[in-house]
Amino acid sequence: MVHLGQYFPGDSVIHRLDPRVKIVSTIVMSVLILWGEIPSLMLITLLILFAVGASGLPFRHLIISLRPVRFFLLIFLFLHLFFGEGVHIASVSWGPFSLTLEGLYRGLTVVWQFSLLIWGSSILTATTFPSGLVSGLEKLLRPLKKIGVPSHDLALMVSIALRFVPTFLEELERIKDAQKARCADFRSGGPVGRTRAAAGLLVPLVLSFVRRADDLIVAMEARGFRSGPRTNMNEMQMARADYAAITVMVLLTVFYILDSLTAFGWP
Amino acid sequence: MIEARGLIFKYEKSGDPVLKDISLEILEGTYVAIIGPNGCGKSSLLRHLDGLLLPDKGELLVDGMRTRDTGSLREIRRMVGMVFQNPDTQIVGTTVEEDVSFGPGNLGLPPLEIRERVDTALDLVGMKKYAKRPPHTLSSGEKQLVAIAGVLAMHPKYIALDEPTAYLDPSARMIVFRVLKKLHQEGIAIIHVTHHMEEIVDADEIFVMNGGKIIQRGKPAEVLTRIAWLKELGLGAPRVTELLCRLKGMGLDIIAESLTLDDACAQIFSLIEGKASEA
Repeated sequence: MVHLGQYFPGDSVIHRLDPRVKIVSTIVMSVLILWGEIPSLMLITLLILFAVGASGLPFRHLIISLRPVRFFLLIFLFLHLFFGEGVHIASVSWGPFSLTLEGLYRGLTVVWQFSLLIWGSSILTATTFPSGLVSGLEKLLRPLKKIGVPSHDLALMVSIALRFVPTFLEELERIKDAQKARCADFRSGGPVGRTRAAAGLLVPLVLSFVRRADDLIVAMEARGFRSGPRTNMNEMQMARADYAAITVMVLLTVFYILDSLTAFGWP
Repeated sequence: MIEARGLIFKYEKSGDPVLKDISLEILEGTYVAIIGPNGCGKSSLLRHLDGLLLPDKGELLVDGMRTRDTGSLREIRRMVGMVFQNPDTQIVGTTVEEDVSFGPGNLGLPPLEIRERVDTALDLVGMKKYAKRPPHTLSSGEKQLVAIAGVLAMHPKYIALDEPTAYLDPSARMIVFRVLKKLHQEGIAIIHVTHHMEEIVDADEIFVMNGGKIIQRGKPAEVLTRIAWLKELGLGAPRVTELLCRLKGMGLDIIAESLTLDDACAQIFSLIEGKASEA
């Protein structure tokens, strides 16, 4: 089962890019996607297609990653189509709702922008190992340490949270099975009954995690942990590909600025 | 040498002490086992060895450093590695190698040195091929090996293990046990708390605890052959030893000190051969 944000192991150029570069690029791209007009969007689309090709991800990944948000996309489209302002196309109308040309244009653009946002971030998570993401974030947040943001501890916290997600799910299944064995019913009983059954899972789950947290802290202390700076096995180092990626992002931004200055408009 | 002098410890001020006047010494490079019924204080004692718990009275010294001195705590924790019972709650990293690098990272070692220590440690426990795997894809036994590697990467002089095989199936238990023996041969002192008597027949010394006290210490051959006494404590002896003791009780000519299967077999076979040649 493929899901949003899943990591795909690989050794491509995109995989090997410095996580910091990837994170910043994704942010820059996201901003440009939200602000950009058609020419910028087209350029970004090309860039994303190139990144998918270079990373060795199957192109199918683009469609799969949109699947969880398909209803949002449809709703966006629908809202813009029928509630946008502009010239109504009289032949396509139901009561007070009627299609407008501007609505069609805005709707499609919003769907396009939204898809690009999802693709951008899903390439980031698909090609970067979670711990790489975390340590990349930590390095990026490091300057904030001066104003008292404990970036080291934050990064460790996020990384431990990531590490325990699968354990959490396993535990949930175990508790569920234990309750099923004692005739708990999670499927029928209507919304109220099902909510009550789910609430019954919550207490043992939370208890088990408090206990785990306790054990984990002891284990971490035993391994010499104390809050504050630690050293990392994989120090990040920028390579040629990273500088290339940065250059591409700078060019993209320049293009966007020129585009909006000259108001090289679309229709 | 790890040295405990008159340790007294309670979890709550008003409650009964969990450790009542414990003194012991653990020499470098030895294999020491601690056994005792549940609640006898063995885990609490173990947690004193690297200063996770501090005694209310008495003193614990690791190579002359007191666990009470906060200044030496980090060095003590580097020298005394701890492996816990539950494999799931001692792994911190999102991958195996990242977890092993946690300890050395805490020591503030340079990246290249950490990399080298991680590789060596994983190699030593036979987990190198899993270096990039996320921990939840490993079996309990493999997780325990990762935990041991995590301790090894800190280059400890002593490794204390709190029932490390309790969650494991027999074959995983054998593997972990073999790794422990190997580490012992490498010169690391092992302090092994366990309920599995078969694992400690080779120990240099066994401490038996009950009610917060060390009630007996000695060589395995002395301790593990006191079968009725062990049973009274709720511990049980190795089955092989129990068998030999029963045979001896039946009047057969047997030295009931053997703790291993091979040794017991040899004795029983020679006895059978002896009978056969008489007849």
